[in-house]
Amino acid sequence: MRAVTVQLGITELLRYRQLLASLTWRDLRIRYKQSVLGIAWAVLLPLSMMLVFTFVFTRAIDARAVLRIDTPYALYAYIGLVPWTFFSVGLGGCVNSLVANRNLVTKVYFPREVFPLSCIGSSFVDFLVASTVLMGLMIYFHHASHWSFHWNPALLFVPIVLGVQIILMVGLGMLLAMANLFYRDVRQIFGVSIQLTMFVSAVVVPVPNDGSLLAKVIAANPLVPLIGAYRDCILHGRLPDMIGFAYTTGVALVLLVVGWAWFRRASFRFAECI
Amino acid sequence: MESAAVEFSHVSKRFRLGESHDSLRDLLSSGLARLAGRKPKTKSHLWALRDVDFSVPRGEAVGIIGPNGAGKSTALKLLAGILRPDEGQVAIRGRLAALIEVGAGFHGDLTGRENVFLNGAILGMPRADIRSKLDDIVSFAGIERFLDTPVKRYSSGMYARLGFSIAAHVDPEILLVDEVLSVGDAVFRLRCLDRMHTLVRQGTTLVFVTHNLEQMQSTCPRAIVLEQGRTAFAGPAREAVGFYMTAMSRAYADRPTDMQGQPDGQSGNAELVDLSFVRSDGVETAWALGTESIRVRVRFRLRRPMARLVVECNMRASVSDNLLSLNSGRDALTFDMPAGVHTVTLRLDRLPVCSGQYLWNVRMWDADTGTTVLDSPFRFPLVIDDEGRATGILCVDHEWETGDGESVVPTYAAASRDTIAPAPTNADHESMPIL
Repeated sequence: MRAVTVQLGITELLRYRQLLASLTWRDLRIRYKQSVLGIAWAVLLPLSMMLVFTFVFTRAIDARAVLRIDTPYALYAYIGLVPWTFFSVGLGGCVNSLVANRNLVTKVYFPREVFPLSCIGSSFVDFLVASTVLMGLMIYFHHASHWSFHWNPALLFVPIVLGVQIILMVGLGMLLAMANLFYRDVRQIFGVSIQLTMFVSAVVVPVPNDGSLLAKVIAANPLVPLIGAYRDCILHGRLPDMIGFAYTTGVALVLLVVGWAWFRRASFRFAECI
Repeated sequence: MESAAVEFSHVSKRFRLGESHDSLRDLLSSGLARLAGRKPKTKSHLWALRDVDFSVPRGEAVGIIGPNGAGKSTALKLLAGILRPDEGQVAIRGRLAALIEVGAGFHGDLTGRENVFLNGAILGMPRADIRSKLDDIVSFAGIERFLDTPVKRYSSGMYARLGFSIAAHVDPEILLVDEVLSVGDAVFRLRCLDRMHTLVRQGTTLVFVTHNLEQMQSTCPRAIVLEQGRTAFAGPAREAVGFYMTAMSRAYADRPTDMQGQPDGQSGNAELVDLSFVRSDGVETAWALGTESIRVRVRFRLRRPMARLVVECNMRASVSDNLLSLNSGRDALTFDMPAGVHTVTLRLDRLPVCSGQYLWNVRMWDADTGTTVLDSPFRFPLVIDDEGRATGILCVDHEWETGDGESVVPTYAAASRDTIAPAPTNADHESMPIL
């Protein structure tokens, strides 16, 4: 019975894929409307954060030795910030997606999954745009530093890493969107915790690896192997640590199944509880 | 029954009154209360729909009417899948488009064109369809010049016209429409109705929720009357309207402070008990054919005897001037009545007016002194059905002639109820699909 329900959910979603595309496009259009730089912000946001962190960690305080980073810091930070921005902006959109579309939730029927999915879709477009700049940075540092780029088979693993990230975001996004619909506190809690998460996910600073209690707690964060996997494949030309990556994949799949099933079960109450 | 496009079987829907948990603090406190073995505060519920049961065959148009809060919109949201019933089942067979609010999903920052594509997608239209129908949609809405202007700069009429126009071009198999034609000007409203007729002719199943009984009757051959979440009547639209109007006027009469307290007149000598409309068969009604005889029955209480009482009945189409004002004084008739409750009845052989709702009042005065003793507000509605013979205000006897003076069709003169509109036979009733 449950299997049938899930299957129906997927076919229904496929029927509405054009709507998903339209809402994704709407999110992008609105985000960059009346903005001089427009979609360039997709690049400027992670780029400016990269510059900030590069300044902080290489000029303002001398933390480079502590960080023991063997690639140019700007590259290290940017390759962390691009998937991180995708993650945080995408989920930030998901949290509000149902509440912000109250009018549609109460007046029109279509699968409610479309709302969080379109937020992930629009931040994915940003992600793709920001990724092109990564290539530019890599070419620059290839010539300007001790670091050099080599074509290698590990690059083929990048789409799998991206896929796992999207699965993780879909599961979390549905849970967050639904939770915020019933309890508006979720949005506030999300805002604080996403800040903290950034610093324990090896986005701009490596996580501690000294066997301390904190290090063990942080090791449970599925984002650490995920962002590490991008760096391993692209900057170091090696496959990621498979145990860590398998853990992340497992967490992502469990969240997807739990999140989606729960979302579907609750979705018929959205219109009356929003 | 298997071909029914829409099936509503024994559906009940309830809503929780008061706020649910709106913050985690509430959830925590009620969770703790539950852990401590105390029962959380019991919530009161409101049954918005109770055991409502109907079905609409493919290609039929059905109206849902009823007073505010009767559950009409809830029924439509259940059909649209926005809400889920607490009991019973809702089955929809076919591609469905629901127009519950015009322009729901419009975004002010997007242009008209962008919103057409977005809203079309929201209503389930494939992109290629939207592209091919864009011109039709835009010209139907009459916004060609503003197609590339953000809709936040549109007037509310333009906004509504574009919203309806998109929905009208979805070409669904089942169309749900909720009270959306109250927007826009009269011309646009007519075009919307026209478009709905066209869709129904082309085989679309229509469920139409409205307060506008005329719009409903002109579109739907059958209707359901909801009252306080229950089906009060289901059957031919004209009878449904009659049922509804009768129920409404009875509801009016049930409010004594409304009805009898105010219209005391200047002297306070008389008090209106009731004003009702009675058909020739003696049945009280709130609607009648313009061709049948109707009695206006006024019941009132005199506190003191009156020697020369004049009774006047007035009829208006709306807030405008009187269309009809008949008083007994002009007919050289005054009433000599003791104190107590009396009934005066005015018999009209026919009411030659066009279809619509007409409001009545009653006035009384003393013919000797001219003192008004009773002046009621215009609060008594009577719905007249001219069976589509005329538009305008009057629906008078007439016939058409050709050049040689031969009369061709005696259109209205000799009309009686039976010859013009044969009452539905019992067989019709049995096959009535929405019952």
